[in-house]
Amino acid sequence: MQINNKIIISCSIISSLVSQTIFAAPNPVTPVSKLTALTHAELIISPGKRLNNATLLIENNRIKAIIEQGDIPAAALQIDLTGYTIYPGFIDPFTDYGIEFEYPKLGLTRPVYDIKRIGGNAENGAIHSEKEWFNYVYPNKERAKDWINNGFTSVQTSKLDGIFRGTGVSLSLADKTANEVIYRARSQPFMAFDKGSSEQDYPNSLMGSIALIRQTFADANWYNQNKNKSVNGVTSSQVEFNIAFEQLDNLTEKPIVFETNNLNDLFRAANLLKEHKLSGYLLGNGQEYARISELKAFNYPLILPLNYPQAPEVATDDAEREVSLAELRHWERAATNPVVVANAELPFAFTQYGIKSDAFWPRLRQAIAQGLTEEKALAALTTQAAEMIGTAEFAGKLAPGYMADFVVTKGNIFKDGQIYSVWLQGQEQSINSLSQEQLLGDYQLSFNNFSLDLSLQKTEVKAGDSSIKGTLSSGERSISLTHIKLEDNGRLSFNADLSSAGIIGISRFTLWLGTDGIQGRMVDAQSRTTNVAGVTIVQSAATIKSAATAKSAMSATDQEHKQSTKVDISANLVSQLTFPNVAYGLSEAPKVEKLHIKNATLWTSDKQGILEHADLLMANGRIEKVGQQLSTPSGYQVLDATGKHLTAGIIDEHSHIAINGGTNEGTDAVTSEVRIGDIINPEDISIYRALAGGVTSAQLLHGSANPIGGQSQLIKMKWGESAEQLKFANAPASIKFALGENVKQSNWGEKFVQRFPQTRMGVKALFEETFDAALAYEKVLKAYDDLRSTDKKKAIAPRPSYRLQAVAEVLKQQRDVHIHSYVQSEILMFLRLAEAYRFKVQTFTHVLEGYKVASELAAHGAGASTFADWWAYKFEVYDAIPQNACLMQNKGVLTSINSDDYEMQRRLNQEAAKSMMYCDMSKEDAWNMVTINPAKQLRVDEFVGSLTPGKMADLVLWNAEPLSIYAKVTQAWVEGKRYFDRDQDQLAQQAVVNERAALIQKILNSDDKAKAGEKVTPLNEPQWHCDTQYNAWGHNHQGAQ
Amino acid sequence: MQYLPTTLLLTMLMVAMPVIANDIVPAPKQSRNVLIKNATVHTVSQGVLSNTDVLIENGKITAVGSHLDSTPTTAEINETQIVDASGKHLYPGLIALDTSLGLVEIDMSRPTVDKAEVGDINPHISAASAYNPDSELIPTIRYNGITHAQIVPSGEGLAGQSVVVNLDAWTIEDALTPSTAQFHVYWPQIKRMPEDDKEKIKVIEKNQDAINKLNIAFEDGYRYFLSDKAIGKDETSATHNLRWQAMLPLYQGKATLFAHADSVGQIEQVIALAKKYQFKLVIVGGYDAWRLASSLREVKASVIYPHTFSLPKRKDEPIDLPFKIPSLLTNAQIPFALGFSSDWDSRNLPYAAGYSAAYGLTPEQALKSVTLDAATLLGIDDLGAIAVGYRGSVVLSEGDILDPMTNKIEAMWIDGRQIDLNNRHQQLYQKYLKR
Repeated sequence: MQINNKIIISCSIISSLVSQTIFAAPNPVTPVSKLTALTHAELIISPGKRLNNATLLIENNRIKAIIEQGDIPAAALQIDLTGYTIYPGFIDPFTDYGIEFEYPKLGLTRPVYDIKRIGGNAENGAIHSEKEWFNYVYPNKERAKDWINNGFTSVQTSKLDGIFRGTGVSLSLADKTANEVIYRARSQPFMAFDKGSSEQDYPNSLMGSIALIRQTFADANWYNQNKNKSVNGVTSSQVEFNIAFEQLDNLTEKPIVFETNNLNDLFRAANLLKEHKLSGYLLGNGQEYARISELKAFNYPLILPLNYPQAPEVATDDAEREVSLAELRHWERAATNPVVVANAELPFAFTQYGIKSDAFWPRLRQAIAQGLTEEKALAALTTQAAEMIGTAEFAGKLAPGYMADFVVTKGNIFKDGQIYSVWLQGQEQSINSLSQEQLLGDYQLSFNNFSLDLSLQKTEVKAGDSSIKGTLSSGERSISLTHIKLEDNGRLSFNADLSSAGIIGISRFTLWLGTDGIQGRMVDAQSRTTNVAGVTIVQSAATIKSAATAKSAMSATDQEHKQSTKVDISANLVSQLTFPNVAYGLSEAPKVEKLHIKNATLWTSDKQGILEHADLLMANGRIEKVGQQLSTPSGYQVLDATGKHLTAGIIDEHSHIAINGGTNEGTDAVTSEVRIGDIINPEDISIYRALAGGVTSAQLLHGSANPIGGQSQLIKMKWGESAEQLKFANAPASIKFALGENVKQSNWGEKFVQRFPQTRMGVKALFEETFDAALAYEKVLKAYDDLRSTDKKKAIAPRPSYRLQAVAEVLKQQRDVHIHSYVQSEILMFLRLAEAYRFKVQTFTHVLEGYKVASELAAHGAGASTFADWWAYKFEVYDAIPQNACLMQNKGVLTSINSDDYEMQRRLNQEAAKSMMYCDMSKEDAWNMVTINPAKQLRVDEFVGSLTPGKMADLVLWNAEPLSIYAKVTQAWVEGKRYFDRDQDQLAQQAVVNERAALIQKILNSDDKAKAGEKVTPLNEPQWHCDTQYNAWGHNHQGAQ
Repeated sequence: MQYLPTTLLLTMLMVAMPVIANDIVPAPKQSRNVLIKNATVHTVSQGVLSNTDVLIENGKITAVGSHLDSTPTTAEINETQIVDASGKHLYPGLIALDTSLGLVEIDMSRPTVDKAEVGDINPHISAASAYNPDSELIPTIRYNGITHAQIVPSGEGLAGQSVVVNLDAWTIEDALTPSTAQFHVYWPQIKRMPEDDKEKIKVIEKNQDAINKLNIAFEDGYRYFLSDKAIGKDETSATHNLRWQAMLPLYQGKATLFAHADSVGQIEQVIALAKKYQFKLVIVGGYDAWRLASSLREVKASVIYPHTFSLPKRKDEPIDLPFKIPSLLTNAQIPFALGFSSDWDSRNLPYAAGYSAAYGLTPEQALKSVTLDAATLLGIDDLGAIAVGYRGSVVLSEGDILDPMTNKIEAMWIDGRQIDLNNRHQQLYQKYLKR
């Protein structure tokens, strides 16, 4: 250990950062320099640096010096801390301490499309970037205890409400004025996806929040580049004032503190920050261990909460069946999260956020038991955290000039040490409040000439609610105590009738914990006062009862005693870690196969049709060769597929699986800025289930709640890969439009009659207006672009609009339209509208009356993706017929069959077969309906959709003719990797059963402490459908549609 | 040679029918005998018989065998419609259980929906009062080989009585097929557990209240039954109560309780109820029923399993569990039939059976689960098989009735009446073929 042996490190005060208010006292007071020397202590100067017997010299609110040898200034008040340890004060970078502000409730009745704007701020009610929270700091002594009792001395704080939450403030937890406690007035900006208390409908989905953030970044950028431009000699700004944008200037200079609710969202935040080249500190959620290498690639520092989950309810088999393996796994692994993050060498701090403060130390010690080093833990609590909240120059270490913020403990705080006192800005904070637990135990009580045994125990009044009972006894005789009361000041009072011991009448006792045990007084029936002193009898109780100990550290100790008897449980983990970390996740990523599939029936989906007794070679993720009796090149595995059928992977044009936070941003009528690509959920078991049904690609579409919905995302079913890797590379951009009942809100209830449009006539008009707006937008952009660069500098640039940009892309044929439609009038209307605006409609989806206008569809060149046989579920599908696909196909329309359904997606082969039954479609044509045709509609037929050499090896092997009801997928490959294998699946089914059983036994064998934790509510999202109305931020709007 | 015109006529009729028909008229009572020749006959009760003839007289199957027409009398020839079914498959008409056909026309259009009443003690209401035999949905159901359906009211608690109908009728009275009286109870369940602890407790309490309420209702019904028995013997017999009066057959052992329940907990409660009152019990749903084999066998319960085309109800379950449950029920020796809890979609029942065969049932078991097994649990003893004495309700297909890849229904008879297979979809198809 590197220790500076020289004696005094002199002090230089960095006062500029700290406001030293000279209090205007009624009588002038000469400031007196207060020197305090804490001697003979063990000093933990910084992570990894320790002095064994040194003196910490404090002057006023600062550390003046660390004296290892030599003289202590005579003026200093000396406090002997022999046997104590001093740590730098801990720092929590994520709190809302000291902010007691609420946004005004506007009391608007839903739906709310626009809010009242109060002040020159943003038009969306979830944007509060103008807020600077130092303006609202109001120190709160009571709340501060939640942190101080655990050794925290400073925090970063912000109102945790909204998407852009404003700029946080770093402050001391000392009980002083706001001015004195503020360490850094403008620390980091805070953000989240949750719109919080905003009463505005938009955004009601996760993708809406992300789109709003993206638009706001662009707006702010534009605003700050243009606000000072003067045009035509006008000096005052011609850009409408907006403080929210103004405050987002120079965003790149400060890392953004980003709160998310789950691991997928954490990655979304990381992606979003990276996209905008911003730095960030991400609030973890406790599951980082599950995808740590993916997270490491971003290298954003993390703020880790210690939110370990409550053990899932497995006491009965009924309850157990409703618990998922993922929940069971997380219960076992939660405490490994910090060490996994530490091992990945990601910088991190800890926060108490999300847990009760008295759980903090027990949890942290559990993490240490899992292998987190004390040095890393200390760094997280001090230097790392100080770095994050912008106070590293004067907080987080014991060093001259640093704030006198530190923690005095008895013993090693990371093992079983207890907090003795906490110093905030040079003032010792005495911690008075004692908990019941601290007082419980046995004492030998002496007063007058008596010596009685006092026993205090906890009684369960009812579940979760306890009180104290106690006795005074001498030998066999025992007297019950009455009126036992633990007062707020930490004093215990009780009454006892000691007549049998010779003290007549009821005696009243008041006791408190002292340095050596318990002390206090007794008042007898004659009102005579006698001093009482007690020593603790049992050794363990003595440990618990040392004086003035923080209550949380106490219960921590208690737990530690139980835990320390256990071996390092990391060696005993019974759970698996898979990708994704849910049941049926893969333990390792599949490899690209070099494979010779022999003697199969090949359904080529190209001009070769169906080839019997044929072979296929694949390598490097591609199909190499198709033919009969091919020879096996060296290095290729052979798969004998005699009697089996090989096809291209099924492609689903219309799906809503693998999405988080809502499939509709169904608020405004036009929401073309939202992107399904932002909200892919790679952990959705539906991906694996789809593979098992032979589906290798699916277009994930926005719902149909509004005419112009969001941007679609084509994915591949690469089970186990990240959200980004699931995206189909090089797929053309596309967008969901919608017509009919859903967009005119026909089935939304009586309240929803305000939004234009409410009729099919209005739907058309809305499209026209939006197209015109997009054209006008393009024109303005172009006009600006065409300016000479000198003029450009002067002219005010057009305000960017991702919404209109996406529509403009449609009009420029750069973004394909897949339009939800049912009846012939609306289909024809949109065809003609598209023709008027000179773009081609790529695909009508659903298009159940497509058969009525098949020749018009064919003439336009639009594709049609329909259901095999759905009808009659609402009025606009009353004329739907199962011969739709045949009729459209016969007229030359490029036709496919889609699912729009989680369950049916895995049986699209059967859906394709229905056209054979209802209208005599050929096998080849029927199979094309779910392979090459949707590939063409999605314009990815150069990559997938048929068994054509050169295309991606997205292949499915079936045990029977794929169109038969009796067919099952035996294997499915995506880009040459086998992501599904039925034999493996059978093994996995058994493995899931075994792993569940082991984890359940582990829970049943655990003590209550190991079972304790935060209540976990797994993300309980519904299955998404076109018309799912879901409010991702529903906690604010009960009864939202 | 003399038979030729008839055969030709039939063939012509079948091809030409969709073109000419625009109204779908229920078939009249069987007037001529029907002889279906040389079919592969899926008898269900006696296995699969190739090159076999089936004779239907007066609505009933009167003979199944080879060369039934080898020595026909002239009179017989004149009175018999002969169908050459060489290379084709003959099946008993399929029975769709747990449907809301005729009670719903367009699910999202409220005026057309009559499937669920308010309140949770409605044992006295019956699907028969609302069934619309002219529903446009019904001919599309027949088109896939379904001749009969159970029409079931939905709702909460005691939701009412179902009826069995044949799917080609002028009125409900024509349509009704005699069966055991059927009472439906939807056993309470917590559909979505809220996240909030307080809300959770509320929901649990509410669910328990609903269970208690049902148990009390069954007890009240029982008291009424006791006092009904005591009429004439006892002065204290209760006053007339429509609800409990309706439920008497249940306590008298003349009716079946169809209890809609999926989870172990629900099913166990229903079993306890059935034990207490000696009810004939059918579990509808029965997702977890295979886990409770011995308890179900003890009360001789059977199961209607409608979830073949469903996702696993729980995340960790085998991805193919819903497909496999029929075979698990078979292994557990629990009598069951497949259902399809839907309206328009119940035409896909045959394919649910087919898919169950891909996952462990034999094709014969799969067919039986949508024919004879269904009839048995409805208490119908002359439906669901091709055997002498059974109703002449049969379906002729070019291929496998359970596989849409090959299935093509060519003809259907209900009680010997040849049914028009035309429907709204065929009509629109034919219409737009002309465009």
